[in-house]
Amino acid sequence: MAYLTQPDYVKYICSCGQLKPITSLYFCRHCLKIRCGFCICHEVDSHYCANCLENMPSSEARLKKNRCSSCFDCPSCFHTLSTRATTQQRQVLQDPAAGGDTKVESKQPKKMYYLSCFNCRWTSRDVGIPDQPVASGGWPERTNPHAARVNQLIDYYKAIAQQEKQEKIERERKKFNIRGKYITLTDKTGLTGAMARNIAGLPSSESSSSAIANFVPSVATAEVDELPEDIFTKEVNLNQITSMPQRLASPDWQPVSVSRLHPLAKLLSVKRSQRCRACDHNLTKPEYNPGSIKFKIELLAYYHVPEVKIISHEPVKPGEKTALFLKLTNPTGHEMQLRLLQPEDIPPPEEKEEPKSIDKSLERSLVLEKDTTAFKAIERQPNISATSRVTSPGVTLTLAQRDDAAEYDDDAQHDTNDIILWRKSNKLGVRLELDTSAEAVGGSPARALVALQYSYRNTVPPAPSAAACRDHTLYTTLLLDLGTVSSN
Amino acid sequence: MSHNVKILPGATVCEDCTLEGDITIGGGTVIHPRVTIIAEGGPIIIAEYCIIEEYSTIIHKKSDKQENPPKPLFIGAHNVFEVGCKLESPCGHIGESNVFECRSFVGEEVKIGSGCVIGAACRLTAPQTLADNTVIWGSDHHIREALEKQPSQLLQLDFLSKVMPNYHRLRKPNVHKRQPSTRQSTEPSPKP
Ligand SMILES: [Zn+2]
Ligand SMILES: [Zn+2]
Ligand SMILES: [Zn+2]
Ligand SMILES: [Zn+2]
Repeated sequence: MAYLTQPDYVKYICSCGQLKPITSLYFCRHCLKIRCGFCICHEVDSHYCANCLENMPSSEARLKKNRCSSCFDCPSCFHTLSTRATTQQRQVLQDPAAGGDTKVESKQPKKMYYLSCFNCRWTSRDVGIPDQPVASGGWPERTNPHAARVNQLIDYYKAIAQQEKQEKIERERKKFNIRGKYITLTDKTGLTGAMARNIAGLPSSESSSSAIANFVPSVATAEVDELPEDIFTKEVNLNQITSMPQRLASPDWQPVSVSRLHPLAKLLSVKRSQRCRACDHNLTKPEYNPGSIKFKIELLAYYHVPEVKIISHEPVKPGEKTALFLKLTNPTGHEMQLRLLQPEDIPPPEEKEEPKSIDKSLERSLVLEKDTTAFKAIERQPNISATSRVTSPGVTLTLAQRDDAAEYDDDAQHDTNDIILWRKSNKLGVRLELDTSAEAVGGSPARALVALQYSYRNTVPPAPSAAACRDHTLYTTLLLDLGTVSSN
Repeated sequence: MSHNVKILPGATVCEDCTLEGDITIGGGTVIHPRVTIIAEGGPIIIAEYCIIEEYSTIIHKKSDKQENPPKPLFIGAHNVFEVGCKLESPCGHIGESNVFECRSFVGEEVKIGSGCVIGAACRLTAPQTLADNTVIWGSDHHIREALEKQPSQLLQLDFLSKVMPNYHRLRKPNVHKRQPSTRQSTEPSPKP
């Protein structure tokens, strides 16, 4: 809870150099490295509507412009609209001569539905949308006045993309021909280029070239409509004019007056899985069912990396040694050896270029679309300006494994000493010394830097080729936010 | 308990609420428990078919420029005061079919027409007049104008007046002089 409501006092340094709280970090069990949202691959697993929880395949989602066909948002405040029912005594609008049975039917109370917003009380009746006889669907759709031109443009750009792709394939093929060793995708699958295009739903090259040839570019014009006479004299009624967010929410119409607001089809949400860029293993994978918030794979740092919390600390004074109390937690199911170090003591990671298998490089070469340069990870040293250092106590602390049952007995073990304040199940309270540099200016933010060395037992079944090494020594660096340096 | 509280027949008023001063509660109105109504600056008249929910407060404030005899605070029919809302008014007139959403606050010198909605947690403190069918919502106090009045809560009122006696001690109606106005039998039919 503290992670949700309070600022992030303790930040870990991700392997890419980002500073993040432990709750927004991932831990790759295959690379044994901390990863964050910036240095992993995000993939869309499935599209779904957050309101009706309906799943939608991605092709259908693209066709529907990533919007749900049965749910709507309020055009006034963007809250989800609800369908409300009213019983209505239908007035007989048909002339009496039309026949007896229409009259009988119209006598019965009929249920009619309209859309209503519970937040701002906007209703579909406000803009004159007739009530519907069915609870979902059937709402009138407005067509974009520029639909024809937009489609023309889309076709044109698709054709250009197609042409460029074709040229690229052509180039690649030439390259392969020179090498003469590799087979192309079309050879391998026995598909001709035209067939492949057909399967992919792309227009054939002939039609694309005609789309490019027949395209008429837009022409800018200096002539615009005159402003109305009374533009400066008429009193403005702000209740009748839409706000910028309201206009931009429906870019195709951009209504000026509130009477033109129209229900917005609800945007779809995605379930995404996250993948380590270095080893292509999944870090998170959600369950497919949109109603479920559980994960099939959930490699969060919170379950693998020792958690550090600040209990309290003395005021940080320049050039002085002050006390710092930390709580260390072992979230893993194995005993953990932990040492506090200086960041400089961390041994540099061994640069080992993993031998690329031939299969993989072949696969890569076949995926021509993928621009491999885009996947190059840029690692940088984080800019850490810490005023203080945590003095390394030079002892190894042992943290017991996590035991959910132990939460309930509260007899703290008392093997306390100078450093260990208390010990309880997989948690440890430590007293440390904080060494602040004399140059620290009073009032400036006080940050302390500390490195952790911890043992980690990998429970992933080892790959047949790799050595069966299960116990690892890992390092991580933390930045503690200790408020401000006191000025006296 | 003050002797000046007049409860008309058909009103459902829970015993567990604070009613001080000269208050008249119209027939069909439901007052939930823990409601505070204080008429310190003058009488408060609540018309028919209002719902006043838990922890809402209606105060007729004393003011310096009080007329003698003090003007009443008149609250029209079909108003809904949701949980925890607060209305402070020196005097005046509140129209009908307004909704005061949860934890909303309406300060002094705010004149409210009919069919208005004061959104949840919205605070109206500056002197102003709300035209009919004004809707205020959100933390930024967005304002819009609704086309029609808020639908009345007659179904809810019926339900409450049936259920409340089973679970709460009620105050007995103590005025029998005037018959409550006949209840509208059907919901005003929406526009076709
Ligand atoms: Zn990895
Ligand atoms: Zn990262
Ligand atoms: Zn939906
Ligand atoms: Zn709305």
